[in-house]
Amino acid sequence: MATARTDHTETQPRRRSATGQTLRWIGAHRSIALGGALISVIVLAALFAPLVAPADPYAQDLIATMEPPSWAHPFGTDDNGRDIFARVVYGARISLLEVLLSVGLAMVVGVPLGILAGMSGRYVDQAIMWAMDILFAFPGIVLSILIVSVLGTSLANLMIAIAIFSVPVYSRLSRNLTLGLKSMDYVEAAVSLGISTRRIMTHYILRNAIAPIIVQSTLTAGTVILSAASLSFLGLGAQPPLPEWGAMMSDGRNYLGLNIWMSLFPGLAIMITVLGFNILGDGLRDLLDPRK
Amino acid sequence: MTIFANNRIWLLSSAIAAALAVPGVSLAATLNVMQSEAPRSMDPGDQTATYTAALLDPMYEGLIKRDPDLSLKPALATEWSSDPSGLVWTFKLRQGVKFQDGTPFDADAVVKNFNRHLDTKRGLAASGRLRTFLDSVTAVDAGTVQFKLKTKYPAFLALLTTGPCLMVSPTADAAGTIGSKAVGTGPYKLGEYKSGEYVLEVKNPDWWGGAAKGEDQIKWTWTAETSVMNMALQTGDADVINPFPSAFAQQVKANSEMKLSTTDGSAVFWVSLNTKLKPLDDVRVRQALNYATDRAGIVKAFMQGFATPANSPLAPVTPGYDKSLAPYSYDIDKAKQLLKEAGYPDGFTMSTIVQEQEARIGELLQAMWAKAGIKLDVRKMESGVWSKAAFLDPAGKEKDGIGSAIASWSSGVNGADLQFRPLYYSKSASPAGANLGFFSDPKLDELVDKAASTLDETARNAIYADAQKEVNDQAPHVLLFTKQDLFATRANVAGVWVIPGGQVVVKDAKKQ
Amino acid sequence: MKAYIVKKMLALPLILVGVSLLVFVAIRALPGDPARLMAGPEATQEAVDNMTRRLGLDRSLPAQYASFAVGALTGDLGTSIKSKLPVVSEIRERLPFTIGLAITAYLIAIAIGVPAGMIAAIYRHGWPDQAVMILAIMGASIANFWLALMAMNTFSVQLGWLPLLGATSWKSFIMPSVTLAVLPTAVIARMTRSSMIEVMSQDYIRTAYAKGLAPGQIYWNHALRNALIPIITIVGLNFGSLIGGAVVTESVFNWPGLGRFLVDAVRYRDYPVIQGVTLVAVTGVVLMNFLAELLIAVVNPRIRLD
Repeated sequence: MATARTDHTETQPRRRSATGQTLRWIGAHRSIALGGALISVIVLAALFAPLVAPADPYAQDLIATMEPPSWAHPFGTDDNGRDIFARVVYGARISLLEVLLSVGLAMVVGVPLGILAGMSGRYVDQAIMWAMDILFAFPGIVLSILIVSVLGTSLANLMIAIAIFSVPVYSRLSRNLTLGLKSMDYVEAAVSLGISTRRIMTHYILRNAIAPIIVQSTLTAGTVILSAASLSFLGLGAQPPLPEWGAMMSDGRNYLGLNIWMSLFPGLAIMITVLGFNILGDGLRDLLDPRK
Repeated sequence: MTIFANNRIWLLSSAIAAALAVPGVSLAATLNVMQSEAPRSMDPGDQTATYTAALLDPMYEGLIKRDPDLSLKPALATEWSSDPSGLVWTFKLRQGVKFQDGTPFDADAVVKNFNRHLDTKRGLAASGRLRTFLDSVTAVDAGTVQFKLKTKYPAFLALLTTGPCLMVSPTADAAGTIGSKAVGTGPYKLGEYKSGEYVLEVKNPDWWGGAAKGEDQIKWTWTAETSVMNMALQTGDADVINPFPSAFAQQVKANSEMKLSTTDGSAVFWVSLNTKLKPLDDVRVRQALNYATDRAGIVKAFMQGFATPANSPLAPVTPGYDKSLAPYSYDIDKAKQLLKEAGYPDGFTMSTIVQEQEARIGELLQAMWAKAGIKLDVRKMESGVWSKAAFLDPAGKEKDGIGSAIASWSSGVNGADLQFRPLYYSKSASPAGANLGFFSDPKLDELVDKAASTLDETARNAIYADAQKEVNDQAPHVLLFTKQDLFATRANVAGVWVIPGGQVVVKDAKKQ
Repeated sequence: MKAYIVKKMLALPLILVGVSLLVFVAIRALPGDPARLMAGPEATQEAVDNMTRRLGLDRSLPAQYASFAVGALTGDLGTSIKSKLPVVSEIRERLPFTIGLAITAYLIAIAIGVPAGMIAAIYRHGWPDQAVMILAIMGASIANFWLALMAMNTFSVQLGWLPLLGATSWKSFIMPSVTLAVLPTAVIARMTRSSMIEVMSQDYIRTAYAKGLAPGQIYWNHALRNALIPIITIVGLNFGSLIGGAVVTESVFNWPGLGRFLVDAVRYRDYPVIQGVTLVAVTGVVLMNFLAELLIAVVNPRIRLD
């Protein structure tokens, strides 16, 4: 009897180490890895600010104002003699807070509204979309100017204003997703089974819509930080002496030609953060798209 | 590419483009002046902002004018005298003067001008200054007017050079157009007012003084960005910029293409403390805040040294200023001690409201006062919001927890009464006046009133010395500094000067 | 199709009414007193009261809204508190400047963004793709006021090539419009890239390849034409963000357009101007959205954004 040659082999499959697997995953999903890495740097800097930057971001030294970078002050000092490096690092906390609160608020208000609009009858749908269209018609800055001017200038009101003009994006997105999901077989099955509308909205619709919504949130994150900077430029931003990046850039613009450090470093920080969020968002979007 | 086939058209259009591309080229020589805010009105009697006053200055004149050496000289009045009581003044008017719309300038016009301010129903913005002391103005004949004062007022002549006393055309005023179309008697008349963009003033060929000494045209623009102002001077888009942002002083001084002018100013910067809000009602607490303030540090950090630390509520250029008055020293320990005496050994929390331009002062004070245990909450507000908040009554300020406000006040060289009365007189408590902290001290009120009617200068100054000491001791304000007046011009510009307080005078300026 | 257009058109006035209400309410809720601001810090309470009366601000809110709404419909947007000129004429003078800036910015954005997006799509995953993507994201993450000031310093002060401020010649257009164009360029580049990629993987493109058409022809004729939809989307639907960018850009460059006008008006609480300009801007955005959605429905009836 001759041994039959078959495709089946007796060799053991090669063991893949956890590190190897992680590295392969990273290589295949470069955007997520890169975006995630950048954001992680910012988050870590925010969490461990006192360790990363031992200087006090609020301590003024009126003798040593507007100094260029040096060993004592890696990013130099600002017009009140405060250490820019410390302010940038602690500013990460504020920027992340801005992103979390504004995006969070926009999602918490916009997503339920959108799902409700998608699931409800014509009139409720039209009414909600009419309200969203009105909000959406306002250029973000114009709406923020009005809201902050009404509520008063403060970081909290800034975040509320930005959240408000971001709401329509989330409600429209959720509504369109809901409309698409509504006609799916498993949802129709759930409806005919008599499952309550509320349960359908949370367990069927929301669960399946959450991914594109998260992708959108990474893109909104960038807008939040930049809007805060523009509003600081218009005098409606964070109150002194908060080391908010946008406010720091805005203050630094009064010394153009004299001292670039005051605006450069917070500006770079903003750019890296927005870059990180956008790359992460792109990567997530690629991941979720079944066609690729 | 057929466009360029026709060489002549191409040459012509590129020549036009080149001509258009050169900034500031016009057939007439223009002096470009850039300030930090837009004009509030074209009527000098209906606004009180210094920069608007500067813009209106070439177009309007009063009975008396100021020369560059700050002395008072005849303008629309040729001579004047008062009766022995000092309450009745007679002015002889210049003959042959016409307003820029043809209306003749005579006693009737003068009377109409002052009556519109005495009219309580009219409510013009600058009338307040006049109504305290002016009783009536009458025409004796076509070329003579008489002023009757309620009380003797030493600053009367000086006031005649300012806002509400500048002569506007009665015709334009009656027509209601004076707010947007300036009509005065000055060497320049309004060429064009493009709202939000610029104001163009052109020479008035019918000016009584002959040929105006300045450039053919004066063009006023404005920007809120200090960097842009500085850049405009560097590119030559602006020939004069006012107020000059002190941060760029070194840069300009080192540059031979530009000149920086620094003169003693009259704007006193202070923190007005709400004397009706605990614990600021205790004079020891207010004094403690004064001791906790490093004025020299603020001058260096905020004004780059272009200011004098304040030792008195008056600016050094104000007649009656007491140089010998001892200032508060920078003494944190003394501050802490006073606070302890007042019952606040661990300090307390208070707030301050600031506008964008003074926000940094708030930040600086925040860090300083923290050393004495005072937590200062700085609320930066836009001008509209700030104005409303600053002028609230005691109940309103209590409700919003407004402990103090940072601002400045300038009385030019028009006399100490114009600094004391609006800021420290009890009747000037907001919202009626600018006494934002509701300071009420009968002794001070008495001193101010007495000085206001003392015609003898030495006696008057002695009373003002007492008044300054009283204000210092009672500390309704934390006095910070007196700002120098800074403006910058291109090196080839001559003849620009500034009235203490920041009102730049450009009507005699020429570019070489 | 017609029903779709009609339905969209009927929705317009409703949106505009809602917008006008929101604008009116928001502005009236603004703290700060225009009368006090106009009168100045030295003015007495009485002068301020007088000013309030002169400005018609002592009437009841519904009365003020009614006169505002009626006026808006008849082309009268009130009188500016500051300049005492009719708001409509002030807007008419400034609108061309903002529109000119917007059009120039869009042209630049399309001229640079589309080719960049195409190159990124064609050389996907290669270094041109990475470069374009990074540049695009950087462009979308720069604070525009900072970019504007840096440009002014470099090109006007240091190099002296361009005029610093205002709208004096055709050269004045360059810096403001390029600054304004940075964000739309980035967005258009990325959108063109992703829609090109999507289209290129579709069957009819593969058919074209199989038929032996030259790659150049394929890209230009088929892919680009279908990638136009996202461009229309950006220009039409992101018009609001361009207006927002114009606000900051115009303020820095002293550009005599509506953006700067609005910022000044807010500073002085010039209610009629704030109302009028916001209404005009929002109407513009709504119209552009409407036109964009219409165009998309016409070009590709399968895609309806409803």
